[in-house]
Amino acid sequence: MRISLIQKIMGLFLILYSVTLIPPIYISLLYQDGELVHFLLSIGLTLLAGMVLWLPVRNFRTNIQNRDGFIIVAMFWVVLGLLSALPFLFGTHLSITDAFFESVSAFTTTGATIFTGLDTLPQSILFYRQQLQWFGGMGVIVLAIAILPMLGIGGMQLYRAETPGPFKDEKIAPRITHCARSFWLIYTVMTLACAAAYWLAGMSLFDALAHSLSTISTGGFSTHDASLAYFNSPAIELIAVVFMILGGTNFGIHYYVLLRGRPLMYWRDIEVRIYLILIGLFSLLVAAELFRTHYHNDFISALRFSLFQTVSVITTTGYVTEDFSSWPDFTPSLLFLVSFIGGCAGSTAGGIKVIRFIIMFKQSGRDLTELVHPAMEKPIKIAGRVLPERIIDAVWGYFSLYVASFAAIMLLLMADGMDQVTAFSSVATSINNFGPGLGEVTANFKSITTESKWVLAFAMLLGRLEIFTLLVIFTPSFWRK
Amino acid sequence: MQLLVIQRILGILLMLFSVAMLPPMLVSIIYADGSLAPFLYAFAVSLITGILFWLPVKSRKQDLRLRDGFIIVVLFWSVLGLFGALPFALADQPSLSVMDAIFESVSGLTTTGATVLTSIDTLPKAILFYRQQLQWLGGMGIIVLAIAIMPMLGIGGMQLYRAESPGPVKDTKLTPRITETAKALWYIYLTLTLVCATAYWVAGMNLFDAISHSFSTIAIGGYSTHDASMGYFIDKPLIELVAIIFMLLSGVNFSLHFTAWRHRSIAGYFYDSEFKAYLIILLVVGVITTVYLDFKGVFDSTGQTIITSIFQTVSIGTTTGFTTHQYHLWPGFLPVLLLFTSFIGGCAGSTAGGMKVIRFVMLLKQGRREVLRVIHPNASIPIKLGGKPVSNRILDAVWGFFAAYVALFSIMLLLLMLDGLDQITAFSAVAACMNNLGPGLGEVGFNYAALSDSAKAILSFAMLLGRLEIFTLLVLFTPAFWRN
Repeated sequence: MRISLIQKIMGLFLILYSVTLIPPIYISLLYQDGELVHFLLSIGLTLLAGMVLWLPVRNFRTNIQNRDGFIIVAMFWVVLGLLSALPFLFGTHLSITDAFFESVSAFTTTGATIFTGLDTLPQSILFYRQQLQWFGGMGVIVLAIAILPMLGIGGMQLYRAETPGPFKDEKIAPRITHCARSFWLIYTVMTLACAAAYWLAGMSLFDALAHSLSTISTGGFSTHDASLAYFNSPAIELIAVVFMILGGTNFGIHYYVLLRGRPLMYWRDIEVRIYLILIGLFSLLVAAELFRTHYHNDFISALRFSLFQTVSVITTTGYVTEDFSSWPDFTPSLLFLVSFIGGCAGSTAGGIKVIRFIIMFKQSGRDLTELVHPAMEKPIKIAGRVLPERIIDAVWGYFSLYVASFAAIMLLLMADGMDQVTAFSSVATSINNFGPGLGEVTANFKSITTESKWVLAFAMLLGRLEIFTLLVIFTPSFWRK
Repeated sequence: MQLLVIQRILGILLMLFSVAMLPPMLVSIIYADGSLAPFLYAFAVSLITGILFWLPVKSRKQDLRLRDGFIIVVLFWSVLGLFGALPFALADQPSLSVMDAIFESVSGLTTTGATVLTSIDTLPKAILFYRQQLQWLGGMGIIVLAIAIMPMLGIGGMQLYRAESPGPVKDTKLTPRITETAKALWYIYLTLTLVCATAYWVAGMNLFDAISHSFSTIAIGGYSTHDASMGYFIDKPLIELVAIIFMLLSGVNFSLHFTAWRHRSIAGYFYDSEFKAYLIILLVVGVITTVYLDFKGVFDSTGQTIITSIFQTVSIGTTTGFTTHQYHLWPGFLPVLLLFTSFIGGCAGSTAGGMKVIRFVMLLKQGRREVLRVIHPNASIPIKLGGKPVSNRILDAVWGFFAAYVALFSIMLLLLMLDGLDQITAFSAVAACMNNLGPGLGEVGFNYAALSDSAKAILSFAMLLGRLEIFTLLVLFTPAFWRN
């Protein structure tokens, strides 16, 4: 552990981060919404904090090691979560808890909100929320593609050698730099394409830009209380569906398709293929149920809403076009279970990730076969390559810790007085970085207790940092020499 | 597949099972409760079906193989579940539909203890006795299943116990091993039951109640002869104490009892890591429950809080399902905490349900290893149980078991909600049935009578699934099983 190194990096982060407050300032000037002072105050404080951290240790140079990696990643999300709460604190007069909840929810691309009456909020605050999700998404991509495989979290070392580019060495910094360059390019281009498409489909320029920021990052914040239902336009919904799916796809695969010109990779990659198949299956299932129960009387409109909601759920975006919590019988619970699957690894989506489910499914299949043929040795293969036992173990460990964390947090919330349905859905929505819940938290999280908000903010971080990155810091052996 | 051998064994099982109708007939005669006829019919039908199965193939004698083992185990529970339903279906009182009768009988045989009956106190004594006895017989089956058959079939990591089980039989043939083991374990089971019945009687139950409750206590079943369950005896705290002790004993691996009995020493218990974990889990949950109930002031006296908490924790933790108080109405997170505890269940090789403590211990150890591996990527960290390293194959099997448990739980939860149940009821009903616990929350806090037939069918399947440790049943649905 080198405190000075970590301090230097955090300082740099904060200085860089303060720059991101410039666009909201611009918006504030443009719309004259009176938030200018608050953003200036926030930018000043952030810059100051960054300088104070960075200046004393600016000449400190050394390579980052694995353990520093854990701390930096955790600090990155926690500290930026805290500081990006400033504009909410100054501008909208939220309590510290609420402001932190909102900014962590944004930064982890969850999309659970404290606000009511979004439509009446100042433009710059609205834009700032969307932008937070977009930057959160950027962080997630680097985390998922470069850092988690390196740290070997939950079987993600699977991708260690596979990531495109020349970085197979064990040093973190060059890998991240390289990754950031190519993937952020893809990320930005997709965002612009999405914004243009929204605009052409009829959104105002502001809404188009704002929603594109939370679509690609699979965040799910909207500038309207009604979320995407506000527009009531099949074209906009279709655009959202396409770009949510893209946001939930492994950016490593995007790299092959877009920068190397191999479009078939989308289908050849087993994870993306299963991901698309799952979207198809669950959409049809939900549509059939909506149609069967006469919730929608024609199948096409049932399919329209079910496809949108399924994609929004599996990519853990959290947009809604219809209040799905009041959909018939098992559909709300099904959708919440689907959010546990989540998108692909290496994407901005949350959840457990499709690839882990594929690995677990294959392993369970092998177990069944081995029951009948105990002497048989059948290796598990992904894309033709035998999967090391170590990775399979890590995936199982990940899954059971996920379930255990889920159960523990749910009990904690119920001990705090929450009813079972609300507790179940709000933990699921937080740990999967999804957004909306059921029961008390269907529309927003304003009414729950302060303690519950902190617990849920923790759950969002836990999910975003793939459990282990955060938990590992709390173990004694991490701190031992 | 040796269909004829399977048919022969099934025939014998049915003939043996028909004998189980005789004690209720005796009870019916003693109490003159007028329910002799259904048992007589059930006896005749079971016996004749058994003979019809057995006669044509009675000279077929071959050693059983692995695959036959799976089929026989599954048939054992499902066929006996069906025939066990006969008296319920035929009786005038209670007048149950066929689905209700099957539900009640499967719940009995799997020692779940979920019931569709109401006003239990007014039912004929013979029916009451029969329910208790079903659980007891089910428990007998489970002991053999858990100690002799599961390790042999290698279900969910239970091959861990393959070499460890008592008795001199370590070869791969199924039959001799089962006979040996069964005899020794049933003695223990019988002894425990007799001691338990005596203790209940001394503590103040009448003879009928004492015997009946001893059946469902040792089998970790949870059926009672009263609507109020153990709450009926609330004015005799000694009874609660007896129940706590015997539920605890029955949730322990019977191999440990066997060793203790043979060596005349209880030291073996405390060398066993599963036993220790079992006690610790129940202790921790018991303390949390006591503190929270006391904090919320649910009971007037601290003494009552303590005894009720311990009783309810042990009853649900071991998946018995007796209640002295309506725990599903307890405040806050307690009902859900207790339901979660039932997922852990008792020890392997006991009559308890749930995922079993040993698997939970292995999951914990592996979770810890994964955390350590993240910090020290190059370290090789073996998982040990009782000082011996556990093979990778067993660990994999435990993961697979856990994932299958969670997956099937979710699917059945959705199916029940599709059937119209609310989330809390569906969640607890699946948990209570799959863990072979019994009472749930919400609509099924008291009994399952109000559910639809399809929900009852799903839940009956859940009970079998849990009892047969998922894979035994699941494996029959794979193509590989039927291929030659």
